[in-house]
Amino acid sequence: MQPADHRIEMDDIRRWVRKELWDQVPVNISVIDQGFHIVETNRSFQETYGEWRNRPCYEVYKGRSTRCDHCGAARTFSDGKVRVREEQGVNRDNEETYYLVHMLPLVIADGTIPYVIEMSTDISATKLLEKEKLEAERLAAVGQTVAGLAHGIKNVLMGLEGGMYVVRSGMEKGDGDRIFQGWQMLEENITRITAFVKGFLEFARGTTPEVNLVDPNRIARKVVELFRHTAKLEGIELKGNLQPDIPYALLDEEGIHTCLSNLVSNALDACQISDKNGRHVTLSTHDQDGKLVYEVADDGNGIDYEIKKKIFTNFFSTKGSDKGTGLGLLATRKIVQEHGGKVSFDSKKGMGSVFRLEFPRDRLPQPTNTKQDEP
Amino acid sequence: MSGPENGKKKRVLILDDEPNVVTYLEILLQDNGYETVSAANGKEGMERAKTEKPDLVCLDITMPEQSGIRFYRNLKDDPDLAGIPVVVVTAVTGTGGDPEPFRRFMSTRKQIPAPEAFFSKPIDQKEFLDTVASLLS
Repeated sequence: MQPADHRIEMDDIRRWVRKELWDQVPVNISVIDQGFHIVETNRSFQETYGEWRNRPCYEVYKGRSTRCDHCGAARTFSDGKVRVREEQGVNRDNEETYYLVHMLPLVIADGTIPYVIEMSTDISATKLLEKEKLEAERLAAVGQTVAGLAHGIKNVLMGLEGGMYVVRSGMEKGDGDRIFQGWQMLEENITRITAFVKGFLEFARGTTPEVNLVDPNRIARKVVELFRHTAKLEGIELKGNLQPDIPYALLDEEGIHTCLSNLVSNALDACQISDKNGRHVTLSTHDQDGKLVYEVADDGNGIDYEIKKKIFTNFFSTKGSDKGTGLGLLATRKIVQEHGGKVSFDSKKGMGSVFRLEFPRDRLPQPTNTKQDEP
Repeated sequence: MSGPENGKKKRVLILDDEPNVVTYLEILLQDNGYETVSAANGKEGMERAKTEKPDLVCLDITMPEQSGIRFYRNLKDDPDLAGIPVVVVTAVTGTGGDPEPFRRFMSTRKQIPAPEAFFSKPIDQKEFLDTVASLLS
């Protein structure tokens, strides 16, 4: 093959790329001027968004009448940086779409940026799957809860049946001590089921979370305040270590309050049964890699391996039937899962524990109404 | 009476962390001619199994310290104790209260046989006593 032929071939390819690829790629491309008007698009763009001539980008992409609050293109015009973002908009049929957009500055010889090129890929299907997955996780949490309730009720039923047997056989034998023993069993199990019912109500309240944009630190402060007196009485130092200016988040305030209260209450119990002098509980907040993180750390007695394995299982409690129902962590996990988050913990026997609630911000639920804190 | 009338009374080890359940099973079994010993977790239960040499074990699954599953595997791994029949009495069950998947689960690892009997709490008294009697006959 002659070198000349080869050059002709490359030119053909380049011409084809210039002419055809622009319209063939399954990506919506638009060119935006400094006045945020669209001046050119590819075919795919037109098919997705319809008529674009003489219309501003915010109107075509999002159906807005004013510029977007945190416009990425405006920032690319001013700093010349490439940006990649997930955005939500509407297509020509007014259907909600999610797209991943790359914003590229078109820099000319004198260094100015007359245009920004936006290349967007439709990720609505992925978003839908993500949403469905989250919903499935929520349903799974409900399933685990129901299984947990059944387990707890069975134990109480066994206790009640035992009490009945002991009373009845005591009556048959005319054994007053035995009747008294059976009666005590009945009373204990009635007390337990009363505690369970209170726990069930905690769950019921969590089924329709009321989500608002709130200050994550405010909830933490309230919980520290709530337990300050109890901690002091027990000689435990309870403090908050809150990241200042932490961004607001879409949370069910009451639900998160319940979670943090459960964790702080557990941490105080862990310190109480510890023989060490150091007795400290710290509730902290921070933002890390797009996640809102709450941590409750104690230097109490820690959790050993056997207990670690079943800490989130149904109605598990090490506190004895008079103190814990075993519902606290189960309720906490349910509420956290409803926020798209997860609960984890690190613990060393004799060294203390750290319980962590992590909420990826992009998985937080949508607000239930317009009431919110002013950020 | 389902228990033996003459000769040495058969001894049942009851393992449960719920004091009410222990009391219930103790009284029920004693009323039916058995001798009972009890423990509140797997670790203590293993010690008692070695010293008391029970003829049968009533075993709960969800217990602190050492679970019933661990206890069961340790028991079946010990040549001196492996022959003791085990009746599982637990609130842990499969979907819809079906104990079968859980019964199989207990025997899947380490080539351990399934427990001799499996009862979901609350128990059917007659069925429970009949099972204990037939395992000890």
